[in-house]
Amino acid sequence: MTAPGEFAEFLPAYLAEVDELLASAQRDLLAVEEAVRRGALQPRAVRELFRALHTIKGLSAMVDVEPIVSLAHWMEASLRVADQAGGRLPESSVEPLVEGLRAIEQRVRQLGAGKPASPAPANLLERLEALGPQVVDAAPRKARAVVLDAEAAFASRLAPSEREQLEGGLADGQRAVRLDFVPSAERAAKGLNINTVREGVARHGDIVKVLPLSGAAAGGASLAFALLLLTSAEDAVLLDVVGGAPATVRSLAAAAPVAPDAASPAPVPTDSALGTPVFEEELEEPEVRRGGGLLRVEVSRLDEAMEWLAALVVNRSRLTRAVAALTAAGAPTRELATILQENGRQLRDLRSAILRLRMVRMGDVLERLPLLVRGLRRTTGKAVRLELEVGDAELDKAVADRLMPALVHLVRNAVDHALELPEERVSAGKPPEGLVRLGCHARSSGQLEITLRDDGRGVDAKAVAKAANAPVPESADGLLDLLCRPGLSTRQEATRTSGRGMGMDIVRRIVVEQLGGELRMETRKGVGTTFTLRVPLTVTLVDAIVFECAGLKYAVAVGTVEELIDVDALKVVRPAGADGLGLVERRGAAVPLVSLERLLERTAPAQAAGACGTKALIVRQRGEPVAFAVDRLLGQQEIVLRPLEDPLVRVPGVAGATDLGDGQPTLVLDLGALGAARVGRGVGAAQSGGWAS
Amino acid sequence: MSVLHVLFKVDGTEYAMPAADVVQMESFTGATPVPGAPAHVAGLVQVRGRVIPVVDARARFGLPATPATLDSRVVVGQLGERTVGLLVDSAREVVKLDPRTIQPPPPMVVERAKGYVKAVAQVGPRLVMLIDFPRVMGEETADVDGQR
Repeated sequence: MTAPGEFAEFLPAYLAEVDELLASAQRDLLAVEEAVRRGALQPRAVRELFRALHTIKGLSAMVDVEPIVSLAHWMEASLRVADQAGGRLPESSVEPLVEGLRAIEQRVRQLGAGKPASPAPANLLERLEALGPQVVDAAPRKARAVVLDAEAAFASRLAPSEREQLEGGLADGQRAVRLDFVPSAERAAKGLNINTVREGVARHGDIVKVLPLSGAAAGGASLAFALLLLTSAEDAVLLDVVGGAPATVRSLAAAAPVAPDAASPAPVPTDSALGTPVFEEELEEPEVRRGGGLLRVEVSRLDEAMEWLAALVVNRSRLTRAVAALTAAGAPTRELATILQENGRQLRDLRSAILRLRMVRMGDVLERLPLLVRGLRRTTGKAVRLELEVGDAELDKAVADRLMPALVHLVRNAVDHALELPEERVSAGKPPEGLVRLGCHARSSGQLEITLRDDGRGVDAKAVAKAANAPVPESADGLLDLLCRPGLSTRQEATRTSGRGMGMDIVRRIVVEQLGGELRMETRKGVGTTFTLRVPLTVTLVDAIVFECAGLKYAVAVGTVEELIDVDALKVVRPAGADGLGLVERRGAAVPLVSLERLLERTAPAQAAGACGTKALIVRQRGEPVAFAVDRLLGQQEIVLRPLEDPLVRVPGVAGATDLGDGQPTLVLDLGALGAARVGRGVGAAQSGGWAS
Repeated sequence: MSVLHVLFKVDGTEYAMPAADVVQMESFTGATPVPGAPAHVAGLVQVRGRVIPVVDARARFGLPATPATLDSRVVVGQLGERTVGLLVDSAREVVKLDPRTIQPPPPMVVERAKGYVKAVAQVGPRLVMLIDFPRVMGEETADVDGQR
């Protein structure tokens, strides 16, 4: 309901932060779920999840997004109780929490799309609200036969979860002990310090907490460490690890249970103990968890830096030309040339530095997949294991954002269609649990290779061919072509029998057309299917005007075009001796009109002399407006600019190439540079062998 | 040790290059011309999502241009980091060349072929020219001003 209105300026930062918090919350929730399933405790994940929601709530309150505040509030409340109970959550609470996170995510997306966040679903809020009491019920109310020796365990310095862990261990028959280690110079010389002791002790038990103690300790030292641990090792063994006396071992089990009266359980922190000071205090700590020299920057700021860099590069080419002209005129330019060369190197370094800034870790990008698979497990009733082998591959944020929907699609297809139900798998001699495996490898050619493999039933080429009403393809590429036919997914029998095909055209469009990548498939009936995606590590997205000139399509960045004008052939003035150059009137000033057709040498000069398009793009060339006549404007669209790296086609005036979807590369022109490079020296000169090799 | 070679034809003459240097073959449906590129560059084509320059073998060898046919092929090759294509009249065969049949070209050929032919090999009764692929593709920059 809430319109971000006056908070609009804070919104980008808010969205970025909440996005990150949501990602970590999803990770933690999966860890919690995993633990709940195994009946184990996951106190750290519960606490992290709690913290994330606490922060989301706070941030959302600041920008006044009420639906997210209330969702986060009730989730936070139940998690707070769970944390007090040592990280214990009933299994029934996982689902509402997942839905809660999803609801928050949806609202964050709405805000990101400039829409108001829709109200929180009332029944979800109710279920989340009901979680608190459930969690309390789930907490063990066993009469504590065992109670910690509060003094020995420094009870006040223990978090509830740590206390729970120690007490739980005691109740399970383990020994909970406090092992004091007193460091000294001579022990340090023998390699005994708190770190080595930690490692040594860890081999004999679980260290719950290590507390530094100041003040006089046994042996006359002024500093000691108390290690609280659960162990089954003998005192002597433990003492040996810490170098013997003056170290001590003390049991943490209270000599006698404080309250033999089972009706009043020992301080199990329940409602009355909510928000004990220890916990609240920790929450108020300044947020430094994402420290470590990391800085969050909005992508638009990086884009801005990139634009300035582009301007520098353009300027450098002008400088280069100016120097070349000086050299040609016989001026001593040797030093200038050296400086220019150095300048070029610096620009390249700067460019790669800025590009690196835009890189995100693939591992972070894929964070959402485990949650997706989790949901699919539930909706499909299939057993699935998702393996991610991502390594430290990185790619441009813009590519990652575009790629994600394609990957989600492929993973969903793999689980939904490719994997068989557990019983089918067993009867086919496979393990009941299906495997979906995603791997990433950066290639030296500036590309990232992503493989997505499943061990499902494989694509049935005959069924796909039948559904597509086409002959059975002979190769995997041909089969993929069929799968990627836009209409295929809409046919009922196709989705049922082929086991694949849902929206594969979308995947291909993203990978091939939008990202300029490559999509391949290998499949074996009954064994599985592997999709291989190759995408460039970086792409530059540009808003472009697409037009036609002499039968070919071209694109030009919107940002470089000052104005689009109609050209009335009758009003074009052609001064004598200007070699076909025209003049058009624009707000009282004469603007040179250049035939782009001719500039591009697309037609014989004789033919081009009188001809000129009906539209023109006005672009500044060396600061002066110049109108470039084209045949037809085709519209404006966002394109992926792929720079032309090969020396054979690295020419001034051509910023790169793009794919408009027709399979033929389309040149992206830099009209200003093109005009300057070619008109300056005369098209004729260029034609008369200026480029001859 | 015989080495696998890809054979292709330009203006009736057969040429060969090691299959290891060839990424793939594509039929040719036209290239996007690049203004200001060297004259022997036919333009850009898209191969599996990558945009690569294509050198017209006829233009490069100084032969008269002919319109592309259904037989026209782009031999896509790898030159270090570069992926480049060579437009040829046709390409059908892959053969194993016995190194013993490979001879240096006669001096007159060396002179006339501008170094594009580095050896002559015999396949049965036929003579095929081993091309110097890097040299044919060249590194001529379109303009002194090209960045980098």
